Amino acid sequence: MSSATRLYLSNDTSARAAGAGLLADAWAARPDVQLIRLSSRGAFFLEPMVERDSPDGRVAWCNVQPEDLPSILAGTGGTPVRSIPFLANQTRFTCANFGETEPLALDEYQARGGLKGLEEAFRLTPDAIIEELRVSQLRGRGGAAFPVWNKWKVAQQAKGGPKYVVANADEGDAGTYCDRMILEGDPFRLLEGMLICARAIGASRGYVYCRQEYPAAAVTLRAAIQKADEAELLELDGEPFPIEVVQGAGSYVCGEETALLESLEGKRGVVRARPPYPAQAGLFGRPTIVSNVLTFATIPQILSRGGAWHASLGTEQSRGTIALQLGGRVKHPGLVEVPFGLSLRQVLEQFGGGMAPGSRFKAVQVGGPLGSLFPADGLDLPICYDAFAKAGAVLGHGGIVVYDHETDMVDLARHFMAFTADESCGKCTPCRIGSVRGREILERIQAGGGTVEDLTLLDDLGETMKLASLCALGGRAPYPVLTAIEHFPVEFRSKLRT
Amino acid sequence: MHEQVEKIHRQVRSEPPNILKTLLALQEQVGHVPVEAIPEIAHSLGTTTAHIAGVLSYYPDLRVAAPGRHIIRVCMGESCYANGCGRVLRALQDRLRTDVGETTSGGKFTLDTMSCAGNCAVSPTVLIDRDLYGRVLPSEVETMLERYR
Repeated sequence: MSSATRLYLSNDTSARAAGAGLLADAWAARPDVQLIRLSSRGAFFLEPMVERDSPDGRVAWCNVQPEDLPSILAGTGGTPVRSIPFLANQTRFTCANFGETEPLALDEYQARGGLKGLEEAFRLTPDAIIEELRVSQLRGRGGAAFPVWNKWKVAQQAKGGPKYVVANADEGDAGTYCDRMILEGDPFRLLEGMLICARAIGASRGYVYCRQEYPAAAVTLRAAIQKADEAELLELDGEPFPIEVVQGAGSYVCGEETALLESLEGKRGVVRARPPYPAQAGLFGRPTIVSNVLTFATIPQILSRGGAWHASLGTEQSRGTIALQLGGRVKHPGLVEVPFGLSLRQVLEQFGGGMAPGSRFKAVQVGGPLGSLFPADGLDLPICYDAFAKAGAVLGHGGIVVYDHETDMVDLARHFMAFTADESCGKCTPCRIGSVRGREILERIQAGGGTVEDLTLLDDLGETMKLASLCALGGRAPYPVLTAIEHFPVEFRSKLRT
Repeated sequence: MHEQVEKIHRQVRSEPPNILKTLLALQEQVGHVPVEAIPEIAHSLGTTTAHIAGVLSYYPDLRVAAPGRHIIRVCMGESCYANGCGRVLRALQDRLRTDVGETTSGGKFTLDTMSCAGNCAVSPTVLIDRDLYGRVLPSEVETMLERYR
């Protein structure tokens, strides 16, 4: 079909939810259109986006409707992709392939630098791989921000095998979707990172624990594993390194590494007491590296470009780039990869484009449902681990949700505590009982039956949960609630019984 | 039920006994995990009924009762919350005259919520079976449901 025009359209879940599926259905039978389904660039406020090749790179038509096809085919009204500020102002390394490649085209992945990290890993000794990661100062991107090299060193030196590599694809933090985009859009990058890890620690088997809410991701990933296997990539030093996708079943706490391991063993996803850490005794009691999808996806370029390259980006304690995921009442929701160090305000203004039409800013939450809330005067905080830790906040997995003037802070606080009460695994008392009591207190305040003592009680309860919970679910759950009370006291006090 | 448990058992026998995998596979085939099947699953995996029941009750996605012909899940994640998922849920409750976790009287729709669909940039989100709807307005609920007549 030489007369057909090549049009690029994303097959990402969110792009489809925004209308890409409708376009594909409408144009499927057109002999003059050759549709190529790619990953999404992550500029979701512009989806569905349709692109064409031009001598100066891709040209995009945004928020496309089926009836826009004639102008796209005529080549009128498009915008060069490189002149879209939301994309042009980003520093994309880990997310560089988004919107550029077909997710399952291994040759395209390779043509854009893929597998170079793995080749380098085969040239290096395991010790030298870990040294490269030490130099890179990469910290885990799932939320805990632990130095990756350190964990690998422990697993490498741990006695007893077999050893395992587990990718945590249980991206449960509401407001985050970067892992989903990697799984659906650039799966070979994850597999390459896992293989490098396996070579460094001497692992013989890999697992991807993928949440049930991401069916398309599991399908793409399984197909990618099949392709990698056919290309004989799933081998390390002559030994097979099989990777299996294992499905979750809707439990949020299974994103916590020890609960994930329990679930992977087929049990209730209940948190384990640490130590021992998974790197010492993880899956089936064997040394196991559990890392977030984004962490694994960052590793190939650290090997191919060098640890020093990675360490040259970002801030003192936070090297490299961070994938921020904008959502809520922001004008331009989408994926933003930038070096660490920009302030929240810069990100919300430069990339978020300000507030959605008709909305006024009230608060922003960073780091998922366990993340702290920031009011308008807290936006000058630089986005990096140390500044957030100093402010008693976390970056988590990089989710940023903006709430507008219509948000009822008491109801939002109740929503957070109810979430923890629902999702608590029940192993430790502070989280199991504390979250239920916290929810009850907030329900009482909401119903107009609360007193000043209830606010003190919430504060006490919060401190207990922070200090005594076994994992981050109970330990972080008080933060969004207490920061809501701290920054919006009038809303809570006005509801109290006098 | 016996045949299905046997079949799944044969599929996963080569691996260490995995309760969650077995229950998910059974639900995939039958639509839910009947409580009556617990003793046989326990027997085939060489474990106790308490272990099976424990796993079955732990995971939100495992169901012990047959759901409606279509499962509607409204995302309650923070981005969806900020974008008015509460109003979408109320519209669905009013339209279907059913509450969260319940099935409509004709057995057609089960209404449920979910924590996050990862569709935060195109929120609020409603998932009906395998169809994901983004930027859903309460006023669109009627037309959305009509596709499942």
